[in-house]
Amino acid sequence: MSSSAVKLGIENTAGPKPKLRALLVEDNALDAELVLRELRKKSFDVSAVIVQDEAGFAEALRTHLPEVVLADYNLPNWKGMEVLNALRRQNLDIPMILVSGALGDVTAVECIKQGVTDYVLKDSLARLPEVVRRALQEKYERSLRQQAEKDLAKKVDELARSNADLEQFAYIASHDLQEPLRMVAAYTQLLSERYRGKLDENADKFIGYASEGALRMQVLIQDLLAFSRVGRASASYTSVDCNAVVEEVRKTLGPAIQESGAVMSHADLPTVWADRTQMTQVFQNLTGNAIKFRGEKPLIVSIKAEKGGEDWLFSVTDNGIGISPEFAENIFVVFQRLHTRTEYPGNGIGLAICKKIIERSGGRIWVESQAGSGSTFKFTLPLLEPAVKEAMRP
Amino acid sequence: MKASHEVLIVDDNPADVTLTREALAGSAHMSQISNVQDGVEALAFLYRLGNYTQAPRPDLVILDLNLPKRGGLSVLAAMKAAPELRRIPVVIFSTSQLSQDIARSYELGANCYVSKPGNLKDFFSTMKSIEQFWFGSATLPPRGEQIKP
Repeated sequence: MSSSAVKLGIENTAGPKPKLRALLVEDNALDAELVLRELRKKSFDVSAVIVQDEAGFAEALRTHLPEVVLADYNLPNWKGMEVLNALRRQNLDIPMILVSGALGDVTAVECIKQGVTDYVLKDSLARLPEVVRRALQEKYERSLRQQAEKDLAKKVDELARSNADLEQFAYIASHDLQEPLRMVAAYTQLLSERYRGKLDENADKFIGYASEGALRMQVLIQDLLAFSRVGRASASYTSVDCNAVVEEVRKTLGPAIQESGAVMSHADLPTVWADRTQMTQVFQNLTGNAIKFRGEKPLIVSIKAEKGGEDWLFSVTDNGIGISPEFAENIFVVFQRLHTRTEYPGNGIGLAICKKIIERSGGRIWVESQAGSGSTFKFTLPLLEPAVKEAMRP
Repeated sequence: MKASHEVLIVDDNPADVTLTREALAGSAHMSQISNVQDGVEALAFLYRLGNYTQAPRPDLVILDLNLPKRGGLSVLAAMKAAPELRRIPVVIFSTSQLSQDIARSYELGANCYVSKPGNLKDFFSTMKSIEQFWFGSATLPPRGEQIKP
């Protein structure tokens, strides 16, 4: 036989057939013979064990390690559906196919609902190989999916751990940096106080720069600590009335609002599931930014919220200097600034903290703006607390 | 003329001790400042052992937490467990802002917990207010003779 002839034959008859370990639960030897013959005819190289009752089944599961279970529905000593339960009890994901003389449609549907992979009537055994093949294929795909899910869960776990490590590192580093810096700051200040005008002009200037630098670094470290604390400290989630939060922010920012002549208004705001201190920080940072980056026009800040899908959509709108869309992402990154410190003071930590808080509360934050025509900062928060959501799940 | 007050600073950072001396220099309370640099020396000073047989009995102890040999919390615990030392007011003066350090200090009987301020102005005013409170507003326990161990 030429090699091409062999190849041609592979599809059906010739060539090695895939091996299959089957476990038959069947009291009728003739039926079992017919089932096996059907499988062996064209499709599988079957090694089979035939059992009739629970004890035999349990034994065969251990010794034969079947890839598929073919069970009669009506057995004298055991019920076909009990086979399924026996598999479940052992946590085995082995496809089970009912092979039955007579099985009403209703019963068949019920069996599949309960977890039987498929069923084949004894008078149409020709279907059996295809049914087995499909069951094996499905199981293979299922195991691939499960493996992928497991891998993903592992990755998520690793990521969470390295994130936690990083936060811990940022915290410790910034805390330990403070100690020597405190000395530099205190002593440059002492130098500048005690020796101002006693050295020469340059000395005063140099000491001034050193002292300012140290002070600014202290603020940076404080900011970094504040930022890393958002992740470390366990936020206490509770119902937070955003109206009250915004009123509190209005009070805190009172002097700045007055000085800038800003008009701040808010619509009726919802109660959300969040950490109150953190929500105050979000509204305070956003409103504070609106005041800081105001334009020539009298500043108007308006806060509102609307329901959208499963979230509240908040917006804080101002008519200030706005932001070019190309920087819209950047501004949420820690220490990213768009202006020099002389133009606008600050370290670029406020929006980074907002983003961290909102994302940890299950929302998103972004800005919609054009340079020169005001900004609208938008963020979402889930409508309901997670526990309520969980309880409402069908 | 007002009597001077004895202050023991337990701190291993000479820069901090110098700042404290600077802060209290020339004040009306005329604090006399002694300094030891670790926890073991602190207790030797308080019990007048070793090199410290002539040590004055402090009216106030300013105690850092992060110390070599024997930590501040351990010194505090030893002081507050000793009948002859427990009436001396102890101000914990540390950069730590960890809530467990603060809670533990008070549990062990610290008289107050003060965070070391980062900049000079705050450091000076904090130091002065500690001095003013303990030697101005508060009434200290009678000095009496120190009980020997």
